[in-house]
Amino acid sequence: MAGLTGAGLTLWLGLTWAPSVSIDAFEAPIAQRIFYWHVPSAWAAMIAFSFLFVGSTVWFFKREDWAWRMHVASSEAGLATGLMCVWSGCIWGSAEWGVPWDWTDVRLNTFAILTLLALFLVLGRKSQPDGIETRDTFAAFGIYGFVLVPITYIATRLWQIRHPGPVIATSEGSLNSDMGVVLALGGISFTILVVGHILYGMKLSQLELKFENLQKQYEERL
Amino acid sequence: MSGETHLAAAYLGMIAALGIWTWTVFSRSKKLEERIKALELALSDGNESE
Repeated sequence: MAGLTGAGLTLWLGLTWAPSVSIDAFEAPIAQRIFYWHVPSAWAAMIAFSFLFVGSTVWFFKREDWAWRMHVASSEAGLATGLMCVWSGCIWGSAEWGVPWDWTDVRLNTFAILTLLALFLVLGRKSQPDGIETRDTFAAFGIYGFVLVPITYIATRLWQIRHPGPVIATSEGSLNSDMGVVLALGGISFTILVVGHILYGMKLSQLELKFENLQKQYEERL
Repeated sequence: MSGETHLAAAYLGMIAALGIWTWTVFSRSKKLEERIKALELALSDGNESE
């Protein structure tokens, strides 16, 4: 709830309080306000993919049930936040660059592959019978997919093609302090939101397992 | 499309994604809790009749 409230507050402040960017520096200065949710959703997706990596690795090597639940919950969180980021990025690209996507930009493509990986994990799990082999296969994808997280992070530092470079935590950053406050609020809110969702999702996976066990007991009774 | 239209389309899409994600998690949880309760009741009734 705190995460959702913070995200709502970020949206309101981003649209009403945060200053506009220079008209000369941007093709679409109004659409630039998309970034108050775009950047935090990308950040939240990275957190979700990090949880996915931890869950997948621990499941693969230790077979801990909590780790599988973390894999399930974080793949869903990664899909939702990844789609939010890709969608808003496409709209901003369309306004600012005149095209929604650039197939030569490393940041855009590695992030899209991460989101597609989350989609594959969510849909794949629904279509496959649950078992150790299935879990191992999906966990392996979760482990190897994480390679894209640091590549996505450093992509605009190494190969800045179309996606803007970093505006915070860098000496080249030129973010207005009021914009920085709203963005920081967004970052904190989306962190609370995604971690809360993952923890709640893990509880949900536990309920699913409990339900399956009870169902088996009931069927054996009949 | 104007800047406002882009802004509205982006935020409506993100709000929809966030809303669907949150609603799905809570509705799944509610349904599961109801089903578990019903199964537990059925199992306890079975135990009593034995």
